[in-house]
Amino acid sequence: MILDDTIAAVATAPGHGAVALLRVSGRAALEVVGQLVRPWPLEPRRATLCAVHDPRSGALLDRALVTVFAGPSSYTGEDVVELATHGGAVVPASVMAALEAAGARGARAGEFTRRAVLNGRMDLVQAEAVGDLVDARSGAMQRSALEQMDGGLSRRVGALREQLLEVEALLAYDIDFPEEDDGPIPRQRIADAAASVVSQLEALIATVPSGALIRDGAVVVIAGPPNAGKSSLLNALLGENRAIVTDIPGTTRDAIEVMVDSRPWPLRLVDTAGMHAATDIVERLGIEVSERWVSSAQVVLACGEGLDEVQATMTRLRALTSAPLIGVRTKIDLLSASASTATTILDDTPVIGVSAETGAGLPELMETIQRTLTARHVAPTSELPVVTRARHRRALESAHEEATAFLDAWVDDLLPAPVAAVHVRAALGALEELVGGLDVEEVLDRVFASFCVGK
Amino acid sequence: MTEQTFDVIVVGGGHAGTEAAVAAARMGCSVALVTSALETIGQLSCNPAIGGVAKGTVVREVDALGGIMGRATDLATIQFRMLNQSKGPAVWAPRAQCDRGLYRRAVRALLELHPRLFPIQGTVARLILEDGRAVGVETLEGRSFGARAVIITTGTFLRGRIHIGTGTRITGGRAGDPASVHLAEQLEQVGLTVARFKTGTPPRIDGRTVRFEVLKRQESELELFGYRWGHFGRTGASTDASSTGAPIGRVADDGTVSTAVASAGAWRPGVAEIAGPLPQLPCWIGFAGAEVKAIVAAHIGESAMYGGAISGRGPRYCPSVEDKIVKFPDAEHHQLFLEPEGYETHELYVNGLSTSLPAAVQIAMLRAVPGLERVQMTRAGYAIEYDYYPPTQLDTTLQVRALPGLWFAGQINGTTGYEEAAGQGIVAGLNAALAVQGRPPLVLGRESSYIGVLVDDIVTRGVDEPYRLFTSRSEFRLSVRQDNALRRLAPIGLELGIYSEVEKREIAAHLEAEQQAAKLAAHTTITPSQAAPLLDAAGSRPLAHGLPIADVARRQGVSLQALFAAAGVGGTLPAEAVVTAELELKYAGYLARERAQADRLRRLATLALPPDLAYEKLNSVSLEARQKLAALQPSTLAQASRVPGVSPSDLQGLVFEVERRRMMATSTSDDDDGGEAQPDVGRATASRQ
Repeated sequence: MILDDTIAAVATAPGHGAVALLRVSGRAALEVVGQLVRPWPLEPRRATLCAVHDPRSGALLDRALVTVFAGPSSYTGEDVVELATHGGAVVPASVMAALEAAGARGARAGEFTRRAVLNGRMDLVQAEAVGDLVDARSGAMQRSALEQMDGGLSRRVGALREQLLEVEALLAYDIDFPEEDDGPIPRQRIADAAASVVSQLEALIATVPSGALIRDGAVVVIAGPPNAGKSSLLNALLGENRAIVTDIPGTTRDAIEVMVDSRPWPLRLVDTAGMHAATDIVERLGIEVSERWVSSAQVVLACGEGLDEVQATMTRLRALTSAPLIGVRTKIDLLSASASTATTILDDTPVIGVSAETGAGLPELMETIQRTLTARHVAPTSELPVVTRARHRRALESAHEEATAFLDAWVDDLLPAPVAAVHVRAALGALEELVGGLDVEEVLDRVFASFCVGK
Repeated sequence: MTEQTFDVIVVGGGHAGTEAAVAAARMGCSVALVTSALETIGQLSCNPAIGGVAKGTVVREVDALGGIMGRATDLATIQFRMLNQSKGPAVWAPRAQCDRGLYRRAVRALLELHPRLFPIQGTVARLILEDGRAVGVETLEGRSFGARAVIITTGTFLRGRIHIGTGTRITGGRAGDPASVHLAEQLEQVGLTVARFKTGTPPRIDGRTVRFEVLKRQESELELFGYRWGHFGRTGASTDASSTGAPIGRVADDGTVSTAVASAGAWRPGVAEIAGPLPQLPCWIGFAGAEVKAIVAAHIGESAMYGGAISGRGPRYCPSVEDKIVKFPDAEHHQLFLEPEGYETHELYVNGLSTSLPAAVQIAMLRAVPGLERVQMTRAGYAIEYDYYPPTQLDTTLQVRALPGLWFAGQINGTTGYEEAAGQGIVAGLNAALAVQGRPPLVLGRESSYIGVLVDDIVTRGVDEPYRLFTSRSEFRLSVRQDNALRRLAPIGLELGIYSEVEKREIAAHLEAEQQAAKLAAHTTITPSQAAPLLDAAGSRPLAHGLPIADVARRQGVSLQALFAAAGVGGTLPAEAVVTAELELKYAGYLARERAQADRLRRLATLALPPDLAYEKLNSVSLEARQKLAALQPSTLAQASRVPGVSPSDLQGLVFEVERRRMMATSTSDDDDGGEAQPDVGRATASRQ
């Protein structure tokens, strides 16, 4: 294993792009690039058009825009050079080969970000956000990842940690300074501080389902009997929203599933096999698949050609899922009267008439889906970032459990302070696992800043 | 050339020095304790009290490891308080006011019980160095001694400078005693980094000029306690565990004890012990109010600390009255504790009024305190600046890394407090002896003791203000307590071989009593009618039928001692054993949590970091952590985990590197495996270690 070396990689995806970006980072980054690039050296943070040569043969490889970022004010915290070369299959690869010849090593996946974390340029939560941003499949995930990368969640968790430290400092004061001027801390003050932490943790944890929705999309199942126009509806909804369509790997292909980038909630539209009593074994399989989807859906669209068919579908679905239903009367263009696009209510459930052919009713349907989701999930705001990772959720839940145990013991005076404090420390430990860095000195600093202690 | 060679030479006769000397002597070493004035051995330079929160636990730890601080305190206690009684026995904190004279004499006598420990008067001017090792000392008086190990415990004496106001500056290590300059210069020349701290002390007054009737009287609670193991509860049933004799005089088993006591002079501490506790004196509480604040505010520029005469940093938890008034201007008044200096004098120590204002201002300030209107000031308060050596230059045994054979203990390491000094003295004394004997070093874990926390904190993290222990510094606040010091540390002492046969029997009896209390609780049934008055008083629901006492003792507010009494059992058990058994019952789940964490810590501590690890080249470790680890050279992963700025991911990197080297050592192939097969340390290190 080579230690403390200089790494390089083509940062852009391979393919036929106009431009490719190569990134070099490490202690010898300037030395390595200096062997390829003229003019050299360059003024930091100024993009300069340079000739790029192969250091072995001297052959001209490309004319590229080269930018130097001197450490520690760079992405990785080390000296970084970025070369914007022409794209395509040949040029970036040949420049990369020249960089390796000059002493750089090909970077492993995530190595630049890893170095950024190790050099203190970002914390773990922010680094995860970089991954999330690159992997984002929806605008909502993009916004959430950006927020997290800017430190939204880190700040929020950091603020909670501060408040828990305050609770610990109050307890420490009580235990370590029993004879001071100010006398004991009122119990209510500690209880209030702890209660505030508990409720804020609850608010963050309450965003977990929203986080999952933003990360993976809300599952919207289009259900109904065969030939009810489900596939047409799916295609129409896609067209209407000019969706980013991606295949979601690893799911059964018995249902068609597509991602729709809509606001505020991205959707995973699922077209299931037709729902009816089947005799044929292949059909049965299809039904089981659809029932499984229906039971995990956030919203189910109950489709049918007429109100009776919608009603029948809804009745069947109610037996399968507690997810909210939206009735959809399909193919309303085949009906005569204009009144059929209007929303009706059937058993407290809205029924919307749509036409995949004319597009009538589609905006109303989309609006109803979004409203239904927003009614049940906390929409992300900058004040309350959503929790999108299982790691974060586990840490927050653990912190919540401990903080609650402390609060209960404190309010009912079930445990003496030093025993109850075990829970506060455990809650702090859980948050520390999220963002790092608990220090007893911080507790004492708080005590000394807040109280006049010592004889 | 040297007149004599000792196994261990201790320089300094304060609380670190005396404990270091006794620890080395108990290990079987010949010891010289060299100090400038034999009369001031065991001097309580600041407030006349031993113990307090966390500190009281340290005293008991020192005692469990064979130290003398607890015994000397028991022989000199004139007022006693158990602090934190309302917060449960887990954080009970014993504190004893002492007669300064009795304390000093007890320490001297206890030292001289050791036949191969010799106090020698002399001011050490120079270390004798040979091949980069400390091999002896020379005194200003022209004597020189050889040593296999030297322990320096010079407190505030190295280039000490006393300030009273901005105009008065006296060179000295303590009011009335000269500072040490030569040794400081030599230590600096050998390349040790030196820094300055300051601390302060309040004025003292003549009690005959105090109107006690307007002050609040604070009585002693002595009947609760004695530091010496087995003395918990001097009255009542518990004394039988300690009735085997005076603690002094138990050092040797061969009958030389009585001779030793006799040779200590006419004063016999052992007699005082047998005769029972000393008569107790009260402390007095008064208040410095608006008038004092106004005087301080008007003269703040004349304070040595605020007038710019002092640059060293002082402790936040021991603030001067100037600090209190500048930093907390809203506080209406500040408590003052008037503490008796001893039987032979009316002098009182004015705790709470530490100051470096000019003497005239101090008098004005004192006379502005209700009850002190006509007070005579016997001594002025002062601030003192002194050299300390940042303790990150020490290894985990307190040995100076750059000068093998040399140990530092006490305030020279940037700590404060008698108890902190004593704890370090024990660590340095035991380890110096172990080194002399060619035995492996002793490192007390954080999970074992407050002494372990203290040593680990200072050598790993360093100090940026005079270091004092708090319970908050320990991850093991519930399991490391004052009542169980012997259970925690006696196994270590037994392993080291520091106890006499009599002491071994005492220890066994003490630990046995704890187990008896637990067994009795488990096997005795208490009836609903027996328990009713107790449960009623605690607001706890009545019993429906008889239950084992252990089950009932788990309830909040119900004491095991009271349950035993109600059931008519356990009358012969020492009170302390019952307290310990009760804590283990009440907080079993929480103690189990701490013990699980302690186990993780011990596992981490077994992962040794090779001394030749090239930290600066570890790419998998953050830059900040690389620099800090390279400077500190931690010996285990556990220690590395506590270096500020070292994160869990850095530790993963370290583990990876250690594993990689291990694999390279066992097989010749050097494959770059990218970090698979890392031991599962992530969880353990992410929590506080």
